[in-house]
Amino acid sequence: MVQMHPEQIAKALLHESFSSRRMVVILFVLVNAAVLTVGWFWPKGFTASTSILVEEKNIIQPLMQGAAVATEVADRSKNVREVIFGRKIMDAILETGEWMKDRPSPEEQERIVEGIKRRTLVSTAGKNLLIIEYRDIDPERALQVTQKYAELFIQESLTAKAAESRAAFDFIEKQAQDYHTKLARTEDELKELRSANLDARAGSDAELNVRLNELYTRIVHTTQELKEAEIKGTSLEKQVSTESESIATFTREGQYQARIAELQSKLDTLRLTYHDTHPDIIQIMQQMKDMTDAMNAQREKREQSKRSGRVEPSESMANNPIYQGMRRELSQNEVAVEGLRARIAELQLQLQGEITRGKRMHNGDARFAELTRDYQVNKDIYQDLLRRRENARVSMNLDLDRQGLTFKIQEPAVLPLSPTGLRFAHFVLGGVLLGILVPLGLLFARLQIDPRIRVPSEISRTQKVPVLAVVPHLWSPAELKALRWETGFLTLLVVGTLAAAAALSVLRLMKLI
Amino acid sequence: MSKIEKALNRAHAERGNLPTLSSVPGTGGARPTGTALVVDRNSPSASPETIAKMAVGESRLLSAADLAQRGVIHQERASDPAVQVFRELRTKIVQRSQGQNSVILVCGVSRGSGSSFVAQNLGAAFAFDPGKTTLLIDCNLKSPNMHKMTGAPVLGLTDYLENPDLDLAKIIRPVGIARFRVITVGQRRDIPTESFTSAKMKDLIDSVRQRFRERYIILDGPPMSDIADVRILSDLCDFVLVVARYGRVTGARIEHCLNTVSEKKLLGVVFNDEPSIPWFH
Repeated sequence: MVQMHPEQIAKALLHESFSSRRMVVILFVLVNAAVLTVGWFWPKGFTASTSILVEEKNIIQPLMQGAAVATEVADRSKNVREVIFGRKIMDAILETGEWMKDRPSPEEQERIVEGIKRRTLVSTAGKNLLIIEYRDIDPERALQVTQKYAELFIQESLTAKAAESRAAFDFIEKQAQDYHTKLARTEDELKELRSANLDARAGSDAELNVRLNELYTRIVHTTQELKEAEIKGTSLEKQVSTESESIATFTREGQYQARIAELQSKLDTLRLTYHDTHPDIIQIMQQMKDMTDAMNAQREKREQSKRSGRVEPSESMANNPIYQGMRRELSQNEVAVEGLRARIAELQLQLQGEITRGKRMHNGDARFAELTRDYQVNKDIYQDLLRRRENARVSMNLDLDRQGLTFKIQEPAVLPLSPTGLRFAHFVLGGVLLGILVPLGLLFARLQIDPRIRVPSEISRTQKVPVLAVVPHLWSPAELKALRWETGFLTLLVVGTLAAAAALSVLRLMKLI
Repeated sequence: MSKIEKALNRAHAERGNLPTLSSVPGTGGARPTGTALVVDRNSPSASPETIAKMAVGESRLLSAADLAQRGVIHQERASDPAVQVFRELRTKIVQRSQGQNSVILVCGVSRGSGSSFVAQNLGAAFAFDPGKTTLLIDCNLKSPNMHKMTGAPVLGLTDYLENPDLDLAKIIRPVGIARFRVITVGQRRDIPTESFTSAKMKDLIDSVRQRFRERYIILDGPPMSDIADVRILSDLCDFVLVVARYGRVTGARIEHCLNTVSEKKLLGVVFNDEPSIPWFH
């Protein structure tokens, strides 16, 4: 590999192209001819293009903020190719482009579809603008296919969007129903539990405690009372047993005698002080006399009744009043004891009842709390779902009514009037350029690869021997003459090639050929 | 009639000791007489007269156009870059030899390097100077070139080396260029290169060099692929000039060739036949 400066390369290339001028010109002509031939048969392409605006935010969205969620469309731009190259759209395109007229076999269809895909260009301009371009040799068909692409793409996308929101609504609806069922079941269970444990309500715990305490207190008091009553009964019985049932009562005679005796003693006392003439003594003496008379009369009466045989109430035998009173008290005490016992039993019963209720209440409480919690959670979720379902319904309706319309054809496809892509003029220019570049490139490659020396400085650089002279070719007159002819001929060839290319280009432009 | 002839005639008229030359009409028919060389042998000084007498043998000088046709430079075509290049080359050699005449061996790196072309034109460039003459000896036995300059095959170097009786003057030929003589290879091509090692060859060179101080002797050597020949010839010469042709030889090949020549004698490389576009100098 020879290292050269750009200047040396240019000089060497000039020298080389001059010395290989025939090769250069022939290559120029050949390359031009080849490129022009390709250009001649290069199919004209008409490109129709349409742009679709993907609206991320339209007016409905801020209005429905929170109530509806617009289905995302921005990501769709990424898979436009997948959407429009889908079998469904492609079939429609085949119909539109009238490719199906000749009833192609599936293999041919596949090939046509591949061709269509190749000629379709999907690009995005900015974030929200999709551009679909389609190129065809028939401008009419290019237009139709492009229109169809846009139409089908939007339709497909909207359908997919609607299906998506519909599916979302259905799902939420189903969930809501599920939760409704759950909620109802929990409610029923709660109802049952409540009715089964009417007393088992939250908060009755304290009440129960109060009640139990009260019952305990009462039982204790009553028991105390009972004990007292029993002790009283025992002592009463003891007393009753010592007291005689009846007592000997004083008769009226006895009473008179006792009175006389009393008066006598009183008289005696007075006589100690007074004379019998003292009024008091006289009075007492009188009274004693009356008493004695009354006693006599009574005795007589008793004697008479004894003889007549009539039973007189015994005046001497009478019921003992203390005994009677104690008996009465004892009997009352017994009644009270009985009453107290009955009360204690009752209280015990009540206590038992309360304890049972308390136990039941505690059992029910756990279940109740669980059910209540379930119920609360389900209720929350259910309410949330209901709200969401309504949102989803609105979203779905938005999509159904195409109100959340998020695709808009910004630039409709128009009939392409002039062909796009490579035109014949491009080939003409390309031919000229290539015609120059190819030989130069080949010569350059030869310079790079060929180790033979073409640059004199290379010798002095590598050999350390001076190059005394660089002798240019000495042209003899005959050589010069031949060179003139040759150059003239070669120039003619180049000019002829260029003229032919230009002529072809003009004629083609004027549609003469 | 050339300017030199006129000058000679004038000199003759003034001195009256030399015969007047008349130009010989026709092309290629001229035969060198060798007179000049006889004179040379008798008076080995480098006086202008001697040079002028040399020109007596130049029966007819070729025009610039004729020379151009043969690929030889001419003073009149001074604007031609090739002419300038050879002049510069000549000047460099003169500087190197410090004004002394010298024997220069011109060898191509390979066959077709254009060593004969370079030798011829270098000789012509020396001969531009009226005070200098050139003797070009064709030493390329395998593919000689210089006989083309003389036109018909003539007696040359090989004949001289083989034939002890042959006069040196008989083989030195004018070629239609002023102050320029040629010794062709001759007709005995079958002699071995080793003949160059003979004393006669050395004598030839020495005598030519010593008799004409102003004469530059150029040996047109074989391509350097014939290493033996080149070695022998380089022993005979003062300087060696290596000719490499544009786009023909690799650097390695040049290096190899340069190694066969002693550094003292090596003048340098002449890069020959670089493409030139005649209308763009």
